[in-house]
Amino acid sequence: MKKNIKNLVVFVCICTVITLLLATTNFITAPMIEKNQNALANKALLEVMPNGKGFENVDITKLTLPSTVTEAYRETDGQGYVIKLLTSGYGSDMVIMCGVDSKGVVTGAVCLSSNETLGKEKTYGENFTDKDAAGVDGVDTITGATKTTEAYKNAVKDALNAAIILGGGSVDIRSEEEILFDNLNTALPEGEKKFQKLFLTEELDNIDAVYAAENQMGYVIVQGEQFIGVKADGTVAEGVENGTIFTDAVAKIKASSLQDINLAGYPDLEATIISAKKTASGNYVIEAKGAGYGIKGGDEYHPASNEYIIVRVAITPDYKIIDCITVSQAETKGLGDECANESFYGQFVGKTEQNYTEIDAISGATLTTDGYKQAIERAFAAVKVLKGGA
Amino acid sequence: MESLKILIVILLSSVLVDNYVLSRFLGICPFLGVSKKIDQAVGMGVAVTIVMLIATVVTWPIQYFVLNTLNLGYLQNIVFILIIASLVQILEMFLKKFSPALHKGLGVYLPLITTNCAVLGVTINNILDGYNFIESMVSSLGCGLGFLLAMVLFSGLRSRIDDTQVPAPFKGLAVTLIAASFISLAFMGFSGIVENIFA
Amino acid sequence: MKEKSSLSVLLNGIIKENPVLVLILGTCPTLATTTTVDGAFGMGIAALVVLVCSNVFISLLRKVIPETMRIPCYIVIIAGFVTMVKMMIQAFLPSLYEALGVYLDLITVNCIILGRAEMFANKNAVVASALDGVGMGLGFTLSLTVMSTIREVFGAASFAGIAIPFMQDYKIEFLTKAPGGLLVYGLLIALIYVVTQGKAPLKKSFSCEGCPNAEFCNSQNCDMKGA
Repeated sequence: MKKNIKNLVVFVCICTVITLLLATTNFITAPMIEKNQNALANKALLEVMPNGKGFENVDITKLTLPSTVTEAYRETDGQGYVIKLLTSGYGSDMVIMCGVDSKGVVTGAVCLSSNETLGKEKTYGENFTDKDAAGVDGVDTITGATKTTEAYKNAVKDALNAAIILGGGSVDIRSEEEILFDNLNTALPEGEKKFQKLFLTEELDNIDAVYAAENQMGYVIVQGEQFIGVKADGTVAEGVENGTIFTDAVAKIKASSLQDINLAGYPDLEATIISAKKTASGNYVIEAKGAGYGIKGGDEYHPASNEYIIVRVAITPDYKIIDCITVSQAETKGLGDECANESFYGQFVGKTEQNYTEIDAISGATLTTDGYKQAIERAFAAVKVLKGGA
Repeated sequence: MESLKILIVILLSSVLVDNYVLSRFLGICPFLGVSKKIDQAVGMGVAVTIVMLIATVVTWPIQYFVLNTLNLGYLQNIVFILIIASLVQILEMFLKKFSPALHKGLGVYLPLITTNCAVLGVTINNILDGYNFIESMVSSLGCGLGFLLAMVLFSGLRSRIDDTQVPAPFKGLAVTLIAASFISLAFMGFSGIVENIFA
Repeated sequence: MKEKSSLSVLLNGIIKENPVLVLILGTCPTLATTTTVDGAFGMGIAALVVLVCSNVFISLLRKVIPETMRIPCYIVIIAGFVTMVKMMIQAFLPSLYEALGVYLDLITVNCIILGRAEMFANKNAVVASALDGVGMGLGFTLSLTVMSTIREVFGAASFAGIAIPFMQDYKIEFLTKAPGGLLVYGLLIALIYVVTQGKAPLKKSFSCEGCPNAEFCNSQNCDMKGA
C-alpha cells in the first residue's frame, strides 16, 4: 500500500513536471502559432490588401450595402476594408474579393471562384488596382467577355460604395432601374411604382421618353434630368414651367392612332418586313428583320438559334427615327444579346437615314451589330416604298 | 434528414474511402501482424471498435468541456493517451471479472490497443475535423468497422499467401505489404462514390 | 551493452537495427508521411528530437520511476515531448505542420519510441541513451527519406518540391497514393533481404511475438495478472 502511494506520487510528479514544461512551451509558442493561423486565414485578404496588418470581420447584417456584398473585413490599422462579393457573370456566379483603402482606391481585386468561360476573370482584377471610382469606369471591357467583365466592374463599384458606407458615409446604392422607378414615382405617385415605357410613334419636341402608369392614372414625361407627371385628365403638377407643352404631348400620344398597312400589295417587302403601320400624322411604324449572328452561316453553324433580329422602329416621313426597340433576337448569350438592351437600341433614337450607322457597336458582336443596322436599313427602305405607293 | 445524410456519408467514407488502415495507415502494425487467422482478425477488429467508441465517449466531452474551457488544448495528446490506456485496462479488468468468456476472446488483444495509433488517431481526428458528439461517435464507429473490414478481408488473403511459394526476398513481410497495396488500390475505387451518394 | 563504444551504439540504430527497414517498427508514419521528401524528413527529425529527449529524460529518471508504473510514466513523458515538438513546429514551420497533420500527434504511439524507452533507456546511462536516440532517430529519418525520395521522384517527378524537368512525362502517380506506399515499402524490404543476404529483417515473424514491444505488451499483461 505504502509502495503504491509512493509510486503514485512519482507518477503525479512526472505529470506535473511535463505539464509545466508544456505550459512553458505553450507560453512561448502560442503567440507565434496564433500569428501563423491568422496569416493563413488572412491569406486571401492579404492578396487584395497587401499592406494589411490584420483583419476583423464586420457585422454587415444591420447595414444597407449593395446586394452583392456578402462579407466585409476591416483592416485593424484603419487602412480600409476588404469586401467579398457574389455576382453573376455569364451564366454562373462569381465570388470576388476586393480591397478598398481609406481614400476609396482599390488595393486589389481577385476572383476566388467562377465557372466563367474565358478564364480571363482570373487576371482581370489586376486592372483595378490603384484605381478610384472614376478609374474603375475607365477599365477596358474584355472583348468577347462583356457580361463577365461588366459584372466584375459592377462588383468592384459595389465594393467601393460598400467601403464608403462601412466608413460611415452614404452613397446611392440603388441600381439605375431602381433610381428610374423612384423618379417616376416621385413625379406621379398615383402610378404606384408601376410604369411602362411607351413606344413613341409621334415626334415630341425636347422629350426623351414617356412612361405610362400601368393603372391608367397618367403619364410621366422625361426631359433630360426632369421627370414630369401628367395625370390622365391632362393636368400637370403645380410649379412646372410651360406645363401646357406636356399636356399637349400627352394629348398627342393619346390621339395617335395606328393603321395597318396590308403588305400583300408590296411583294418586295415581304421578305424583310414583318409588319407596317401608319399613324394619322403620316409616321410609319415598321417591324423589320435583320440577319445577326443567329443567321450568319445559316443552319450549318447555328441550327439552334436560326432566328432573325426583329426591330420595331418608328420613322417620320422625312426619315428620322422617332423610337426604336428590339422585339426579338436569338443572339449569343452574354455577347450579342446586348442588342436587347436599351443602352444599345436607344442609340438609334433621333438618328436619320444619313447617320443611323454612327452608333457604338456591341463589343465582341460585330455580326449582331451589322444585322441590327440591316434591319433599320430595311425599315427605311420600306418607308420609301410605302410612301411612293401611297 | 439532412443531418442523417451527413452521418451516413461520414460512416461510409470512414469505412470505405478513408479507411484508417488502407488509406491512412493508422493501425497498420496489428493489420500486418495479427491478422493471420480470421477469428483473430475479428477479435482484434471488434476490440478496436469497442475501444474507439468508448474512447470517443470520454475524450470528446473532455476536450470540449474541460480542455477547451480551461484553455489547456496543449494537454490534448497526454490526456487522450492516458484516457485510452486507462480505459483499456479498466475494460480488461471488467471483462475478466464479469465475462471471462469474452475476456478469453477479446482480452488478449486489449493490451495491444494502447499503442494502436488508430485509437488515438480517431479521437484526435474527431476533434480536428470539428465533428459534434454524434458525428464523432459515427466517425469512430466507421473507423472501427473499417479496421474490422480490412482485417477480415486481409486475413483471408494472408492464409493463402502463407501457403504460396514466393521468391525468398519477398517471403513474409514484403509480399504481405504488396498484397496490402492491392487491397488498398481496390479501396481507392470507392473515392468519389460516397461523397456523391446523395447528389 | 555498456562495454560497447559510443560509435557502435550510434551506428547500431542507423544500420544494424534500422528501425524501419530491419526492425519493421513505426510502419504507420513510414507509409503515411513519405509522399514528399520534405514531409518525411520533417517527420524523421521530429521523431528524432522526441526520441532523444524522452530517452534522456527516462534514462535520468530510471532509478526513480517505479517498475509497476513505468509504462504510464513513459507514455506521459513521450506524449509531453511530442506535444512540445508539435508546438515548436506549429510556431516555426507552419507548412510542415500542415503537411504532417495528425501524424505528428501519433509520434506518441510510435512503437520505436516506447520500444527504445523500454529496451534501452531504462537500462542505460544518459549519454548512451542519448546516442541510442540519435542513432535510432537518424536510422528512422534515413529510411523515411530514402522511401520518400523513391515515391516523390518517380511518383511526382520532383525532389523536395523541386520539379525534375526531364521526368515530367513519366510520372507514376500511383506511387504518391496509399497503395504506392505499401508497394514501395514491400519492395524496399525485399531489397534489404537481397542486400543483407537474408539476415534482415531480423524478425522472421513480424507478428506480436516478433515485435520488440511484445515484451512490454506481455509484461503489461503480466502486471495485470499480478495485480
